[in-house]
Amino acid sequence: MSPPDLAPTEPILAARGITKRFPGVLALDHVDLEIQAGEIHAVLGQNGAGKTTLMNILFGLLQPDEGALYLREQRIRFRSPHDALARGIGMVHQTRRLVSAHTVLENIVLGHPRTRGFLNLRGARLEVEALCNRYGFTVPLGARVWQLSEGERQWVEILKALYRGARILILDEPTAALTPPEVKTLLAGLQTLVRDHGVTVLLVTHKLPIVMAVSHRVTVLRSGRVVARLRTADAAEEVLVQHMIGRDIAFRTTNRSAEMGRPLLQVEQLSAFNDKGLLALRGVSFSLREGEVLGVAGVTGNGQEELAQVLAGLRPAASGRVRLDGRDVTRLSPLQRWRMGVGYVPAERIEVASIAAFSLVENTALNYHFDPAFIRRGLLDNAALEQLTRRIVTTYNVKAPSQYARARHLSGGNLQKLILGRVLSRNPRLLIAHLPTQGLDVEAAAFVRATLVEATAEGAAVLLISEDLDEILTLSDWVAPIYEGRFGAIIPRTEADAETVGAMMAGLGMKEAGVR
Amino acid sequence: MRLGRYELTLEPRPAPPAIFTALTAVVAILLALALSSFLFLSSHTRLIDAYRAVFSYAFFNPHGVLATVHRSIYLLFCTYAFLVPFRAGLWNIGLPGQVYAGGLAAFAVPFVLRAHDPQTLPLPPGLLIVLMIAAAAAAGAATGGFAGVLRAKLQVNEILVTMMLNSILFWLVAYMIKEGGPFMSATGEGESFGLPSSLHAPLLLGVPVTAALALGVAVLLDLLFAKTALGYRIRAFGENPAAARYGGIIPVALSLLVFLLGGAFAALAGYHYFAAVPGVYKIPGNYGYYGDLGFYGIIAALIARGSSLGAVPIVVLFAGLSVGARFAQGELRLPFGVDYALLGLLMMTFVASHVLYHFRFAWRRIPSEALQSVPTELPEG
Repeated sequence: MSPPDLAPTEPILAARGITKRFPGVLALDHVDLEIQAGEIHAVLGQNGAGKTTLMNILFGLLQPDEGALYLREQRIRFRSPHDALARGIGMVHQTRRLVSAHTVLENIVLGHPRTRGFLNLRGARLEVEALCNRYGFTVPLGARVWQLSEGERQWVEILKALYRGARILILDEPTAALTPPEVKTLLAGLQTLVRDHGVTVLLVTHKLPIVMAVSHRVTVLRSGRVVARLRTADAAEEVLVQHMIGRDIAFRTTNRSAEMGRPLLQVEQLSAFNDKGLLALRGVSFSLREGEVLGVAGVTGNGQEELAQVLAGLRPAASGRVRLDGRDVTRLSPLQRWRMGVGYVPAERIEVASIAAFSLVENTALNYHFDPAFIRRGLLDNAALEQLTRRIVTTYNVKAPSQYARARHLSGGNLQKLILGRVLSRNPRLLIAHLPTQGLDVEAAAFVRATLVEATAEGAAVLLISEDLDEILTLSDWVAPIYEGRFGAIIPRTEADAETVGAMMAGLGMKEAGVR
Repeated sequence: MRLGRYELTLEPRPAPPAIFTALTAVVAILLALALSSFLFLSSHTRLIDAYRAVFSYAFFNPHGVLATVHRSIYLLFCTYAFLVPFRAGLWNIGLPGQVYAGGLAAFAVPFVLRAHDPQTLPLPPGLLIVLMIAAAAAAGAATGGFAGVLRAKLQVNEILVTMMLNSILFWLVAYMIKEGGPFMSATGEGESFGLPSSLHAPLLLGVPVTAALALGVAVLLDLLFAKTALGYRIRAFGENPAAARYGGIIPVALSLLVFLLGGAFAALAGYHYFAAVPGVYKIPGNYGYYGDLGFYGIIAALIARGSSLGAVPIVVLFAGLSVGARFAQGELRLPFGVDYALLGLLMMTFVASHVLYHFRFAWRRIPSEALQSVPTELPEG
């Protein structure tokens, strides 16, 4: 790769002093970003660092509260993405925005200013084919989007942006849904675009290996602020990790007895496919004793959901084995596992863990409709369920108008307390808690964490899956950073520090397929 | 929508009172009847005579009342056949096919046991009748279960499968009763053989026992969904399949179960009309008419919002109006198809009343300041 002239020249696109507030959150705090023509510029940061907000501002989807954008040092104002596109800035979003029943060509011309009124598909095809030839793309224009692989869809999105005349491409987490070979192809393709065609690429990611592999310069964001601006060639990976994670994590160790119970859960070389049929969990092994907490730390989408679901029985294991109390439970159904004392608090409270149209009592029944103690001659024992719900509502401080209120009227925090209370009321021996405090306010999150600690005191083993390093380091006995479906290590809490764990969450110190 | 200084909006109605539910139904019926006046205009009778003919035959004439009762029983079973899978979030559009399967199986019992000759009954008639009903239910369950298995195991759309099964079973019946078919009647008129009188369903108060069965099931189904663990599982699956699976419910088993039940109910409708209604006791050449009529079970279940007891009055009204309108059509030389048109109108007004039930029109006066033109310039900075 021939690095472009990195001497401070006039930036092609600059954001200066950008501040953006959302209700209760300062998403961006006086952010400066400068992008040189013909470079791949990486914006690195953890989830919630403000990367996507910044990109949405650059693309005209959001308006900054303070600060301004400059294109070739001329102040510009984007009222909508149309303005950004008119100035040659294109964006490829993290989630695909394609019509899957339409052909590639139809998707590329869809929404193009020239296609208003009559559609000239034949003319458009010639233009798009010329574009493909110029950039060396091989995209089947006649194929329907649903027939394409995720990697091909990404190229359609890129082609769509180029067809609209984009010379600056913003890619938001472009490798998130791709297989390793697809990642390789994408990165090589981006390098060609930059080197041979003078396109400028702004790459937004939390994956360090990708930054190291292709970018010329990198800007690191943390909690809405720019914390570093470096040439990639000069940047040591460890330094980038430190910037990304920060050193200001406060440790609040909980005082818990050190002696642990007998081994409860043993997981050997567990692998599983995700919904797209890709191997998302790739050979995870660990064991967990009664009263222990294993904190799985990682950025969402690295196999955590698959791990939780395989353990709960909701997703088949592709290979490997799960033992509970020495008994092989790998092939048992969710119901059999509930009966054996596995409790699962999924990340998707509304979609999976509750039924919006049901009352609180009926939602409580979701974990009790199979329990003989709550069934009398085939009838659900409503009085017992009502009493149980009342107990959960009081114990876990669920604020609800009544037990017969619909779950959809509960706030996220109250719904989570109800779900957690319901699962814990079964006295599970193994509790799988996936993002248990995500989106909760400080008070509710603290309550949930305290509840988890209490459960371990009563002998439950807890598998805590979280993105919040602080939470993981506070609650866990063992910390397992997860990246692309593998544990980087399993570190005792006393030896775990934010930098090591953070580096592993970003893919350092792990064998990375496809990039290196 | 803006009209001068006023604005017309559709707003969600907060929890409507119970009386309102009944009231909207009554208004919907009256509106349908008012709209049907247009159908009667072309005839040379007074409107009032047309309505009188429809209602007096359907609900007061002894022949008409019986016809209404039989049709109600038939439609009720069809309603349950749709309702049970519907509570699990699945669409059973296979009512006609399952009705035919029930009819065929019911007639297969005397055919196989050589009991269509009254002199050679191999078993007591009571037992034979129970066998016929059981065979019908089993055949309907198998037909429904076929769609259920495909849905649960292979995610094949149940609507497509049940629709295709309708066609397959329609032609299977045709093969069985038309030229040379095994069930063909001796006179060979495209009908099945008639049942010997000993195999006619016993009558209670002048109506077949299937009436008691249909009303009993109405009570049981509402109880099932309100009180039992199984009913809870079906409802949970219907509201949120992912949550149901999380809660330990097995989607394959549940989808299969509701389709087995639904198919069995539709088959009972088939048994009732072909094997239990006095004067029929055979699969008639116009069996396709009854199959199509089964679709009104879908409408009744939807209007009753999944309540089997709630569906009873709706079904009786549908049955009565279709029977009465068919009578009035012949009597007063009304245009052909007036019975279907009347049901269609009723359907539309019911559906419209549902929107009004959940929403209301609201007239609001627009505050005068909002009408003034807003300055388009943004302030400095």
